[in-house]
Amino acid sequence: MKKSKLLIYGAGAIGRGYIPWVYAPDSYDYYYVESNSALRESLNKRKRFTSFMTTEDDYRALQVPVAECFAPGAEADVLADVVAVITCVGPRNFPLLEPVFRNIRVPVICCENDANLPEQMRRNTGNPNIVFAIPDVITSSTARDDLLLQDPLAVITEAGTFFADEHAAAIVGNCAYVNREELAKQWAAKLYIHNTPHCIAAYLGNILGVRYLHEAMQHPLADSIVEGAMLEMERMLQSDLEIDHAFLQFYSNKELARFRNHLLCDPIARVAREPFRKLAHNDRLIGAAQRCLANGIVPKFLMTGIMAAFCFESSDDPDFHIKYLLRSLCPEDFLRTIIRLRESEALYNLLLKHWDANLATIAELKNEQ
Amino acid sequence: MNNEKLLEVAISAAVRAGACLMESYLQVIPVTRKESSRDVATPVDQTAEREVFALLRAYDDDISILSEEHGFQGRDNGRGHWVVDALDGTVNYLHQVPFFSVSVAYVFEGVTQVGVVYAPLVDDIYYGARGIGAFKNQRSIASPDSSPRDSLFAATFSGKNYEPHQRQEEFALFSAVNDQSRGCLRTGSAALNLAYLAEGRFNGCWGKANKAWDISAGLLLAELAGADVLVVERDAQRHLLHYLAAPTQNFEWLKGQLTSLFSVDGLAGSGMRKVES
Repeated sequence: MKKSKLLIYGAGAIGRGYIPWVYAPDSYDYYYVESNSALRESLNKRKRFTSFMTTEDDYRALQVPVAECFAPGAEADVLADVVAVITCVGPRNFPLLEPVFRNIRVPVICCENDANLPEQMRRNTGNPNIVFAIPDVITSSTARDDLLLQDPLAVITEAGTFFADEHAAAIVGNCAYVNREELAKQWAAKLYIHNTPHCIAAYLGNILGVRYLHEAMQHPLADSIVEGAMLEMERMLQSDLEIDHAFLQFYSNKELARFRNHLLCDPIARVAREPFRKLAHNDRLIGAAQRCLANGIVPKFLMTGIMAAFCFESSDDPDFHIKYLLRSLCPEDFLRTIIRLRESEALYNLLLKHWDANLATIAELKNEQ
Repeated sequence: MNNEKLLEVAISAAVRAGACLMESYLQVIPVTRKESSRDVATPVDQTAEREVFALLRAYDDDISILSEEHGFQGRDNGRGHWVVDALDGTVNYLHQVPFFSVSVAYVFEGVTQVGVVYAPLVDDIYYGARGIGAFKNQRSIASPDSSPRDSLFAATFSGKNYEPHQRQEEFALFSAVNDQSRGCLRTGSAALNLAYLAEGRFNGCWGKANKAWDISAGLLLAELAGADVLVVERDAQRHLLHYLAAPTQNFEWLKGQLTSLFSVDGLAGSGMRKVES
């Protein structure tokens, strides 16, 4: 059977680890565009990699042949020949793809963890075929050491659902093509019940000095903060969007089990990456807290998570400079100048009120290192 | 102290000074004329400067500081010195033109290591250090290149009538740059001009006979953001400098336009020293 060509921008966690489970390598030839030259060379040299999916107590392996991995800008020839394009490059890089998307006619499925980006891209390019998708899984950009010995390009994912806009339904895959209303509900749950507590767990893990997310969740105080923030998100979504409580509870339980899953080996560095993006006013930390307050909920645990994000330290992260700002500015200046909260805002005042208590919690975790 | 610690101290000092400036902004302020009607001082400059000094000395009592209001203070202890302008753009501040800033830099062995420019009215902190990078608030910044025709420039001339007979030449240079580009602005704050260059809002900056405290921090930010920088020491005792900073294409073009200020020939026998990044 002749296979169709699929072009994936980004050979990271989702692009390499999860997409092959959705669009089977039996049916599609995999072409990648990847800016990381070491990874690109490795993929072109080995011509395949392994994606491991967690089962109850072990893994299933999927061998994925790689037709070619291009440097950005070198993919023009194959672009004319693909049946679909999938993007998993991250919200900061996604806008750079605008020139590419102006003239292609095949579906562009965006897995960028930001529901606004596909719409912006549709508007900017005039291309109506750009749609949003939600990979409802955690995928690690790396794997356990013993799996990496088997295949240095191995990544780990888990069983989950790939929710994609029904406008891309012509692309056959193991996924749920849904209408935009259902996609919005899934996105709200993903953004607040998954993304918010997920990054909080990572920031707490950074403070604890551990490598993987499940290691952070093994610490009782960290686990209780994450679970507390998740409950705050449940209450907020029930109040704000009137989402069914049973669905929210199901979602929370699923997420907590994922965070605690020791087989996933989800790296703290990946999940905590770019704290300033997560602290943006419409994103999972400050945005979520504002939404809680608008619904009459004081997000006590979320505010501890926000403080953990403020205290993030990693010399490899693009936002490594957050540590200089937190150390050099008083809390009032930090919140006003860097986080851009106004002095009249409730969240500004609540964060200030709980500043010392939250710092004490962070210090308690730090002492556990 | 290493550059990380120096950067943190510089950010604290700049923001502290900015808070002082904002306390008195829009109020009636007495003015003292210095070398010309454009070179003025106010009690606000002095208060803000004192705040900066106090903060810097809280971190290290044995420091040297070069500042607008007090000149050089301290001793040569071999550990470098701070360069402070607690209010760059005093005339704008007095006239409530929202373009003024605080500038704090740290210089070691003649090389600026750390620079912070803070615009308190809009709460923007531009900061950077060698080995660390250049940033504005949350994000790292870069100075993209463009053609002169598509560029906006900013210039600063000394307000001290240092060489009044050369005023015509200054304005001729200004016109030449202004007429061949999207414009050349005279904003009144060299520090903020250079911060804007580092961020890519301006595409090149140049100045004649500017004081070191006006431009030390900004020049470092521009350099760290990718701009080429040229500094000519005009008068070491008075800390007067000519400078040019721009991404490569505009740097070469501006250098060609401003030959009388920056050519090697022009420096011969003048006693001026040239430093190129």
